[in-house]
Amino acid sequence: MSASPSLSPAPAVGSDNAVSLTLTNIVQDYPTPDGGVTRVLGGIDLTFERPGINMLLGPSGSGKSTLLNMMGGMRPLNVVTPTSGMVSIDGQPCHGPHDDAVMVFQRYANRPDLSVYDNVALPFRFKLWQQRVAESEWRARVDHMLEAVGLADKKALHPAQLSGGQNQRVALARALVLRPRILLMDEPFGALDAQTREGMQHLLIKLYRERPCLIVFVTHDVTEALMLGDRVIVLSTQPAMVADDFTLHAPRPRSLDWQRSPEAVQFSERVLDQLHRVSAGKGSLRVTV
Amino acid sequence: MRADFWNPYVPPTPAARRRLALSSVAVILGFWSILSGFGLVGPNRLPAPWDVVSAFGYLAWHDGQSMLATATLWSVGRLFIAGLLVVAIGIPLGIAMGAAPRINAALSPLIDPFRSAPVVALLPILVMWLGIDEAMKIAFLFLGAVVYLIPMVRDAIQAVPQSHWIGARDLGATPWECIRHAVLPMAMPRIADALIVAVSVMWTYITVAEYVNARVGLGQLIQNARRFSAWDQVFAGIIVIIVLALLTYQMMRYAKARLFPWETHQ
Repeated sequence: MSASPSLSPAPAVGSDNAVSLTLTNIVQDYPTPDGGVTRVLGGIDLTFERPGINMLLGPSGSGKSTLLNMMGGMRPLNVVTPTSGMVSIDGQPCHGPHDDAVMVFQRYANRPDLSVYDNVALPFRFKLWQQRVAESEWRARVDHMLEAVGLADKKALHPAQLSGGQNQRVALARALVLRPRILLMDEPFGALDAQTREGMQHLLIKLYRERPCLIVFVTHDVTEALMLGDRVIVLSTQPAMVADDFTLHAPRPRSLDWQRSPEAVQFSERVLDQLHRVSAGKGSLRVTV
Repeated sequence: MRADFWNPYVPPTPAARRRLALSSVAVILGFWSILSGFGLVGPNRLPAPWDVVSAFGYLAWHDGQSMLATATLWSVGRLFIAGLLVVAIGIPLGIAMGAAPRINAALSPLIDPFRSAPVVALLPILVMWLGIDEAMKIAFLFLGAVVYLIPMVRDAIQAVPQSHWIGARDLGATPWECIRHAVLPMAMPRIADALIVAVSVMWTYITVAEYVNARVGLGQLIQNARRFSAWDQVFAGIIVIIVLALLTYQMMRYAKARLFPWETHQ
């Protein structure tokens, strides 16, 4: 850790990281090609009041991403979202991308023509961040973040010279360099192999400790949810509703031993039972261990 | 026959490729020499290769001046000015159409039909409006190329995956910043391809542009020689245009590979 005060870890609560995100009775309908309507989200109420890692767990195609997009991210283009209900951040209604919410996608959108350094520094080419952060400050942040994600020695390379995991680190660094109060992650490690995914999970835990924020993490991997989450929200499918919502207290990083502990096995079975009951045969799930 | 002869995934080595390319050119030259050498086709229907070579020499240096060099300079100059206009007008217009569907909806009915329309048929109209001097020739070259370039630039912009736009927008970029910093850089290699096509198209139109009242130029040189049935000079002129067009093409390809090295290993 650097000694510079601006880079030291912030206290979790009561700091500039304090945040509240509330979803009230969110319903989302999509028109179908035959003229009908599909209900994707069937009335969801969720409240996030403090920094923490919140896992949104559900089968593929359950509308998790749609829900995530509403939490201050980019909403689907040309679709009214949500159909009904309200999203509010810090008590203010939120209707689109929020400045304090940043998304990390499964498909990292790195610029192939820019170096790793320039990819991480990309947001500071935008007026919004130029006005918010002075150049000396953002350069320090970028350097620190490259160090934190382990790419300091690769900052001159280009995305094509990196592995998938390293590219996802670039995308993660680009999001975190903005110090968002809300980090929305849409199956960010879904395309990585098991070993790389585990490395990325540990990296996320490390980065979270350094600077806690409100993370909402979408996954269809039960093991990932149990490894990372302070809170696990299980969604049913078509339409998605909150099927289960529980808190995990085990300290992170959670070891393989913990995964085999009665507590973890019990949670795992509870989640799988829930999902099989509410959405038998629809969508797919992954259990790594 | 080699086992991989009919295998599209096993290209020949660069040396073998050069050998094959040269031998097919040599076959044509040999066939041509036989036709002329044995008098199978007369010189007023097909000039002999050696006559074309000597015509080339004549055009390159005669009477203390080089008709070929002057003509080439004029043609390249016209092409260059028209090319600058194509870049200055066509690329921004294509980007605007690709980035803003409403601009596209408004302008595409004015531009798209010309891709398959006979631009050559517009020549008399350009003569009527712009006279028979340089303005007409450059306008013709510009028009012929820009109607190809604009739709290609538009398509290049629209081919960029939406995820880049969404990613930038989520990071707080304004819509214009999304275009400028996320979409446009991704589209640049294909825009460069469009420009390469546009320049090739201009080379094919150069003779037509110089048909009317050109006092000097490669098209005029061919036109003039044809009038005097100097078929060896016609052939020499055509070959010069082909070689110049090929050279421009290769230079632009090289420049593109240097400017966008990331594109090939995407």
